[in-house]
Amino acid sequence: MSQENVKTVDKERPVKRDEMSKWQWTWKEMKKNKTAYFMLAPFFILFIVFTVLPVFLSIILSLTDFNMLQVPGWEGLDNYTRLFLEDEIFMLAVQNTLIFALITGPVSYILSLLVAWFVNELPPKIRAVVTLIFYAPSISGQVYLIWKTLFSSDAYGWANATLMDLGLITDPILWFEDANYVMPLCIVVALWTSLGTAFLSFIAGFQTVDRSMYEAAAVDGIKNRWQELWYITLPTMRPQMMFGAVLAITNSFGFGSVVDALCGFPSVDYAAHTIMHHLNDYGGSRYEIGYSSAIAVVLFIIMFGSNILVKKALSKVGE
Amino acid sequence: MKRTLFQRVVCLFLSVIVILGSFAITSSAGEYKGAESTSSTLEEMKDLIGTDSYSTYFASALKSLNKELQATLGEKEINITEFVTNNGDVCLTGNLGNLKDSAGGPLVDRESFESYWESFDDDKYGASSVYLTTINSDDKASNATWRFTISADEVGFYNLYIEYYNCKTDESSVSAIQRKLLLDGKVPFSEVSSITFDKTWTYKSNTDSSSDTYYKVDETIVSKADYDKASKYSVSYEQDDKSYRKIVVEYRFEDGQYKRVKHTYTIGQDINGNSMAPLAQESSQWNTYICSDKSGYNEGYFNFFLSEGTHTISLEAEREPMVIRAIRFVPVEVDTLESDGKANSTELQVGSDGKYHFSETNSFEQYKAALGDNYNKKANGGKIVTLQAEFPDAISDSSVAASNDNTSVATYPISASAQLFNIIGETGYDSLGQWAAYNFQVTETGMYKISMRFMQDALQGMFICRSIKIAGGKDYVYGYNGSAVAPYVEATQARFNYSKEWQSEYVGYYDAQGKHHDFEFFFEAGQDYTIYLECALGDLKTYIQRVETSLSNLNEAYLQILQYTGSDPDENQNYKFHEKLPDVLVTLLNEAQNLTETADALEKLCGTNGSHIATLDTVARILYLMGKDNGKEIAANLSSLKTYLGTLGTWINDSKQGTLKLDSITLAPKAKANSDNLPKATANFFESLWFEICSFIYSFFTNYEHMGLKKLPTEDDSAVNVWIAMGRDQSNIWRSMIDSEGGFTDQYGKAVALKLVTASTLLPSILSGKGPDVYLGLGAADVINYAIRDAVLGVSGNDPHLTNVQNAVFKDFEQTVKGNNLLDPADDNFSPAAMKTLTIYSPDNAKGATGGVSNHPDNTDVTYGIPMTMGFAMMFYRMDVLAELNQEVPETWDQLLEILPVFQANNMDIGVSYISALDFMMYQMGGNMWKYTDSSIYESKYAGAKIDLDSDIALEAFEFVCRLYTDYSFPVTYDTANRFRTGEMPIVIGDYASIYNTLVVYATDISGLWEFSSLPGSHEKSVYRSEDGTIIYKSETLKAEDAKAQGLTLISEGEYNYNSLAGVAATVILKGCEKDVNRLQAAWDFVKWQTSASVQATYGNRIVALIGPAAKYETANLKAIDDLSWTANEKAAIKNQMAHLDAIVNYPGSYIYSRYMKFAFLDAYNDGAEPHDAMMSYIDAINAEIERKRKEFGLDTIPKGEDAPLKDAE
Repeated sequence: MSQENVKTVDKERPVKRDEMSKWQWTWKEMKKNKTAYFMLAPFFILFIVFTVLPVFLSIILSLTDFNMLQVPGWEGLDNYTRLFLEDEIFMLAVQNTLIFALITGPVSYILSLLVAWFVNELPPKIRAVVTLIFYAPSISGQVYLIWKTLFSSDAYGWANATLMDLGLITDPILWFEDANYVMPLCIVVALWTSLGTAFLSFIAGFQTVDRSMYEAAAVDGIKNRWQELWYITLPTMRPQMMFGAVLAITNSFGFGSVVDALCGFPSVDYAAHTIMHHLNDYGGSRYEIGYSSAIAVVLFIIMFGSNILVKKALSKVGE
Repeated sequence: MKRTLFQRVVCLFLSVIVILGSFAITSSAGEYKGAESTSSTLEEMKDLIGTDSYSTYFASALKSLNKELQATLGEKEINITEFVTNNGDVCLTGNLGNLKDSAGGPLVDRESFESYWESFDDDKYGASSVYLTTINSDDKASNATWRFTISADEVGFYNLYIEYYNCKTDESSVSAIQRKLLLDGKVPFSEVSSITFDKTWTYKSNTDSSSDTYYKVDETIVSKADYDKASKYSVSYEQDDKSYRKIVVEYRFEDGQYKRVKHTYTIGQDINGNSMAPLAQESSQWNTYICSDKSGYNEGYFNFFLSEGTHTISLEAEREPMVIRAIRFVPVEVDTLESDGKANSTELQVGSDGKYHFSETNSFEQYKAALGDNYNKKANGGKIVTLQAEFPDAISDSSVAASNDNTSVATYPISASAQLFNIIGETGYDSLGQWAAYNFQVTETGMYKISMRFMQDALQGMFICRSIKIAGGKDYVYGYNGSAVAPYVEATQARFNYSKEWQSEYVGYYDAQGKHHDFEFFFEAGQDYTIYLECALGDLKTYIQRVETSLSNLNEAYLQILQYTGSDPDENQNYKFHEKLPDVLVTLLNEAQNLTETADALEKLCGTNGSHIATLDTVARILYLMGKDNGKEIAANLSSLKTYLGTLGTWINDSKQGTLKLDSITLAPKAKANSDNLPKATANFFESLWFEICSFIYSFFTNYEHMGLKKLPTEDDSAVNVWIAMGRDQSNIWRSMIDSEGGFTDQYGKAVALKLVTASTLLPSILSGKGPDVYLGLGAADVINYAIRDAVLGVSGNDPHLTNVQNAVFKDFEQTVKGNNLLDPADDNFSPAAMKTLTIYSPDNAKGATGGVSNHPDNTDVTYGIPMTMGFAMMFYRMDVLAELNQEVPETWDQLLEILPVFQANNMDIGVSYISALDFMMYQMGGNMWKYTDSSIYESKYAGAKIDLDSDIALEAFEFVCRLYTDYSFPVTYDTANRFRTGEMPIVIGDYASIYNTLVVYATDISGLWEFSSLPGSHEKSVYRSEDGTIIYKSETLKAEDAKAQGLTLISEGEYNYNSLAGVAATVILKGCEKDVNRLQAAWDFVKWQTSASVQATYGNRIVALIGPAAKYETANLKAIDDLSWTANEKAAIKNQMAHLDAIVNYPGSYIYSRYMKFAFLDAYNDGAEPHDAMMSYIDAINAEIERKRKEFGLDTIPKGEDAPLKDAE
């Protein structure tokens, strides 16, 4: 249909949705709501330039041998074949990441939820203080480094000194440099710092629940607090839960810098080597941006996939 | 250290075994060639540790003095004229003008001595002066000796006066002159084992009014009428957009003429209006040194006892050259000596010139009495003179510098938009003996009081002292020969109390009742005076000394407990301290008592109880608890005790740090010296608020990029862009060195745009093509990483990516690296090891890509930068601990391991990081990280194609290092500074500059007790080639006939190897610069200039001057080390290690081996894996990565299981 036709139609009578193509309809709607689009534009432009574009760029780069300094050459799917078929350490990293994510993700999520639920029951003033206490580890930046002191490899480190006092060991254990201890310790630290933004959003979520719904539910025959939580509280705060879940996933997959600070890079025998580390290893020390982009793409897909899974799981809440 | 009989027997037994053992082993090892030892011998260490303190020396000397002699003493000065010398080739006698060096050339710049020459009085001082350098031609500390005789009637106590000239060499050197004083061949008491002669620094030497900071004198002749009318002396200050100036106008009658003399001192400003730091210059002049205690603990001057007979006095050089023209012993009036060595003369001394000489041994009452009627002159008509403290006329140290303080709007000058210099003493003016001096005159004769506007917010609840010394005068002269002294003893302890606010008050002293008395000084009109404000301890010294004694007793007690229980005692075990270590318990209780008393006394002295004093109580409490040990307390609190010992050390440091910010000094006639005439201490609330608001608003408009720029950067394309990723101070120093007179731009006529960036910006900037031309301080691994990706340019003149014309720019590369004498290794500018890390084989070059190889057609290796800094590990050791355990400083690993049992019997450890040990041990044993690097055997295209960690040598080295940690229990993780300080770790190996810099500020309580020397050496393997061509290593060299019998030919004989591994950061030229050859030439000129010896030395010294002694710079230039501020011994040690350096070359994939070596080590350490197997299990992974990486760059690879072909095979 030509443009002139549309114009004539416009003038003569109200347009029907099925008379024009999808694009034309969208364009028309956009013109109508141009103020809204105009106000949306600043964010949208920034979002595209700094988030969407890099994702596509990294997909393109993952098909090249870019090294940061020279003009990239086309490699096709070589990076991916190498990644999945030749790179043993990548497989180790995937394994570590999954262990890490499967433990810290759900545990920290459920922990946040439960703690938020308990904290919510407290009187408002006490609640504010307790909230701060639980939230503190994640706002105080590098505070996880106190674990480095606790589990210092020196004979004067707290854990070593205590164990030596008790006569359990004679030589200091190199906690963060011993493949046997690295992963469990990192998981503990991750859990400790995980009561972050998700926890806050849960607390906010609990506050938004309409009190009258509990009364109505009581009339409808809710028997105990667990049922109250499952049938009323949680379904009401589904948006907050989704938000918390996304955060938990990104955190558990992207938990890299803390491991670096505690165990050094790379961790001994790659014991706590996650996909994130593998990415940094190739991007940073080996200047193989193409290859590390491929890793990033894989990580992106894993995260994306788990997001969808979680979304599905959350829709089951309250059913 | 006190020991029980049992311990002594055990120690004796052990030491006998060890000594016998070491004999056995060293004799079997035979004589070894190698590093010349620069470490102290056991005897030297014992001498040093065992010297008496001054108080002991004085007490014993006093006893030996015959009481009857006293009355006849104190008549005659002893002038020493007879010079003898131990090493005549450098310490030269004779008239200064004839001073020659060993080659016959003039030793000192004669012109700088001309002024001295005319005033030199042969009759009085003898015809000879002595020029004393630091290092003589044997590379030993030079020394000079004088001989003199004391007759029977001259026996007694003397003060020592030395007249010296601080001779400036080419560049002002920041370190003070230090000498070791020996009487009759030995150090009489420990305080003079290192005496410091002040240098004088000034900002006045620059008279060029076109530069930022200058000093100018204008003289005009005026009529008598004008002269009579004018005020004879006035000081004023001006500040505008361009500069901040002090203007002094004086009227003089000289040579029959009336003159008006105008002095202008200027501090320049940058385009933002911020003051620019002026550069202090050393000013050479004659000074009189009176031997006294710089640490401030012993009051007054040292009294030397001279017995009848012939004596010698020697000065041994430690730092900096000096000229000595006279050494005098001035008698002390003995009947005034008290038993603690203080002298109290009863009368003022009237010198041979008939003038009164004020001396700091007088009391204020004596001063008053000497002045007589003059004391009542209140100088009613005198003007109030205000001196802004930021304009010192002379300073003792280049670090005593003006700075900005915007905390109070009452400070002059002040600007809300810019940082103007308005105070002195923010930093760098806090160590004992440092001073700032101010010249002034008064307009009417009489008594004056001095007030100061200051802030003392450093020492909470306590006070800081300054000694007020004065020089000058006509009828009343201050000090000996006009040298600066405090006119009376009270003036040596002007007290500045703590407050968070600025304070303004008449300075004075506190009497025994705690009452404040203002100082009063007598000044004559029209006379030039100089007032010196010298950092002192005042009354605090007794208390600090007490805490220091406590600390050293406690350290000993701690070590004793440690030797008994180990570092981690079991709380449940009953150690029976009462039976085993009763002395230790007594010490703990005594010191607890001592600390409590000290805290109480300090509280009384200061009138308040600040947190600083409370620290002592806290420590005392835990000591008390441990001392009353009920069986568990010592065990439970041992590690806290260690922490508290650290706290006490810090307490002592803090108390000695006399940080005092000073805004102005005001001299007011006594008649006018009331509180109205004090400068305002603080501004009122509204003034301050308005100022804060203005500053806040201005902070949005300040362009911090323009900090320190004199003019806006022009869009000048020809300027060389230089990026630097260091601190702001460092970049400011480079900027000023480039822009200043005689700097790079001046010398080469080429502009340089220096930009301070963060290191992470370099990579993206290259990617986007906006990178710099030159980058300072790129790590060697990155240099190679960038080089193999064509991002940096080769500087060796054979970069295949450059044209012949471009390569020709680098024609003097070899001279730059190796000095003018290419064949003489002693003339090298840079260590070959350092160059190795920046050099890599270029495949394109081998193919003859552009063939642009100007001077070395066969050289396929390209060098990609010039080293700027170079760090390497050295060995630090505690001399006192080694001396006490009767151990020599180990020179080899065998010796080190022999000492180890002695250490471990005393619960002591050796600290070395396994990561560095793994590397250097392999190279010391003659191994190499990479295969096929020997270009005489393999073609260079194969160099680094495989890792050599699976070689016999590497595996043996690896196993040896693993055993150090598993079998010998070296700690893997440790706190270097703390354990070294407590003596738990008497030997520590690590990067020399960073450990030195930490210890020099953190562990001042053990200063003088430690040294550093080269790494212990290992015996290399002897290399043989068997008949079938395989290489065989033998731990010991075989006898020639044995070798022949086995069919082996010797390739290289093993000897002791002391190598340390160099870590290099380089100055590089980045790609993009080559497009314009002129620009490339300018960039190369800059690189050469920046890495040259003189520039590196100047930079190293300036950074120390600015930041302090803990900012020692690890220059890579071998020649620059000579001019940096290390002591003669330190310099010798560093140079020795620099001669024994190796480095791991960075081949493609070099990032991979270190992680796998670490994994292998940790497998062996954590899981008890066999080191050999642990290492071997990673070899394939390493080689696979290297092969992959080499393929990426199109380099030749060697498949698994194969070896590179031998060169001669082709």
